[in-house]
Amino acid sequence: MAELTYLQAISDGLRGEMRRDKRVFVIGEDVGVYGGAFKVTLGFQEEFGPWRVLDAPLAETAIVAGCTGAAIMGMRPVAEMQFADFISCGWDHLVTVAAKQFYRAGTPVPIVVRLPSGGGFSGGPFHSQNPESSFAHIPGIKIACPATPEDAKGLLISAIEDPNPVLYFEHKHLYRRIKAEVPEERYATPFGKARVHREGDDITLVTWGAMVYTSEEAAAQLDDDGVSVEILDLRTIVPWDREAVLESAKKTSKVMVLHEDTRTGGFGAEIAATIAEEAFEHLDAPVKRLAAPDTPVPFSPPLEKAFIPQVDDVVAGLRELAEY
Amino acid sequence: MSEKTLVEAINECFHVELERDDSVMVMGEDVGRAGGVFRATAGLRDRFGPDRCVDTPLAEAGILGSAIGLCMAGWRPVCEMQYDAFSYPCLDQLITHVGRYRWRTGGAMEFPLTIRMPYGGGVRAPELHDDSPETYYVHTPGVKVAIPSTPADAKGLLAAAIREPDPVVILEPKLHYRTMRGEVPDGEHVTPLGKARVAREGSDVTLVAYGSMVPLSEQAADELAGEASVEVLDLRSLKPLDEDALLASAAKTGRVVIVQEAPRVAGFGAEIAAILAEKAILDLRSPVLRVTGYDVPYPYWQIEDAYMPSVERVTDAVRKLLRF
Repeated sequence: MAELTYLQAISDGLRGEMRRDKRVFVIGEDVGVYGGAFKVTLGFQEEFGPWRVLDAPLAETAIVAGCTGAAIMGMRPVAEMQFADFISCGWDHLVTVAAKQFYRAGTPVPIVVRLPSGGGFSGGPFHSQNPESSFAHIPGIKIACPATPEDAKGLLISAIEDPNPVLYFEHKHLYRRIKAEVPEERYATPFGKARVHREGDDITLVTWGAMVYTSEEAAAQLDDDGVSVEILDLRTIVPWDREAVLESAKKTSKVMVLHEDTRTGGFGAEIAATIAEEAFEHLDAPVKRLAAPDTPVPFSPPLEKAFIPQVDDVVAGLRELAEY
Repeated sequence: MSEKTLVEAINECFHVELERDDSVMVMGEDVGRAGGVFRATAGLRDRFGPDRCVDTPLAEAGILGSAIGLCMAGWRPVCEMQYDAFSYPCLDQLITHVGRYRWRTGGAMEFPLTIRMPYGGGVRAPELHDDSPETYYVHTPGVKVAIPSTPADAKGLLAAAIREPDPVVILEPKLHYRTMRGEVPDGEHVTPLGKARVAREGSDVTLVAYGSMVPLSEQAADELAGEASVEVLDLRSLKPLDEDALLASAAKTGRVVIVQEAPRVAGFGAEIAAILAEKAILDLRSPVLRVTGYDVPYPYWQIEDAYMPSVERVTDAVRKLLRF
């Protein structure tokens, strides 16, 4: 075991797969000579050469399209969008071609698109989003949102192994802030298996990505009230671990869903809807959703703080549920 | 009042609105000389000239990008996307620019833009001509979304969209363009956004639907006559959503089934169910059920009937709730 940052764990997982499997290659804006905007692929071009670490033009459609073609020809491309927000430029190709190809022609499209996402550093409306919910509604795409260094490595390896297009959302705020033990050997963290980040009996808090840590701080404050909060880290939202969520909901009877993406039509709605359908008679309180408001991500630091759910917001929501 | 098909009502709306306001213009693929593939814009080019009814290249991002500039220059453009899935090439423009400019300019600029698209299946069309993409637009901050289910609303909601200071996406149920006829008010007719319509009153179960699922829900209600009194709530506009009407109907009946043509996971039905689970939990006598399309790309026409929500699937869901 070595202690790695979240960013080092992504790098480590990717480097390991490239050493192990010649079909794996990396493509993206500035991923080569510069080592990536966030330095995830630093040193990769020296080790693997310019043909396996390709600097692409600023053309996200071309990156996704190139990967789709390469994957159909048997390669295992890992693309980087410099910021998750930029994937909107590749939307048509991702949805119309990559996601539907297996359904149309039976040809797998094993591509991974790495998406540095999330706010908290005044990046403004084009460099701060968590757009995972929009893609969750597209049949044919899987979505991973790791929260820990160990999962960052294990989920990336699963994503590369997966025969489907996978969107891998890596949270920028965690890159260098979160450090933990990561196994040195190769391991794949399965998709669709949630992780109990913290056990509890009174309220279930379902979340993923950076919000896991916001939840943790909030839950610690609820301990002082004598309320025990269970935190479920979904790890992947497509597929998502319905069984784990329903089981925890049945145990605690009170559920809060928390995400950093905007509220209306966010993935939290799917979780709340599933609970309302399948755990209805176990509920002792409304299913609470806490999410960003329906606006672009603001640039101004105080506004951004008001936009991204904060520990105090989560504490207030949990207290409301506890008292219900 | 006069009896019109749904597409005739849209065409009449255009004639009225372009006559009323010189800044209203229409642009899209084949909207001019050909009058639109569905004839929604028939006669506009002859009456208002080629500058106010513009035939564009097959370039959806170009259509929407130009429309943003036209708004800045004082126009009120109405863009036609020839089919639902053709709107994906312009999604970046929509997400990254259209929905954000009001915020980015600190409220100094308005973007009175309307995007129309025929949506949905059931017409034996090939792939990319059958999607129900409303959820992506609803999840985009800064964009309003409306879906008519009757000829009168098709005219009234389009007029409301044209007069709105903000971008509005209108999805028109192409299945009913010519199969549905109804009384349409003559002259100026505006149906405000954010007001649902009780398509049918009832007291035992509420069916919540929009667009082409409204007539289907009414058929299901007919089928259940004598067994249950079924209310059908036509949302008309998904954003802004008439939450008061939704909660009032749920409070009255205590049982809700949401009917949606789009794939299930993270569809707009989830948002409705999540709102009910949060705000109507004490009124509900049973779980909230969703009858939806399946999580696959829209299937080829030979098997599309198996994909589309049917009267039978809706009545099954209602009976399940009555037995709960």
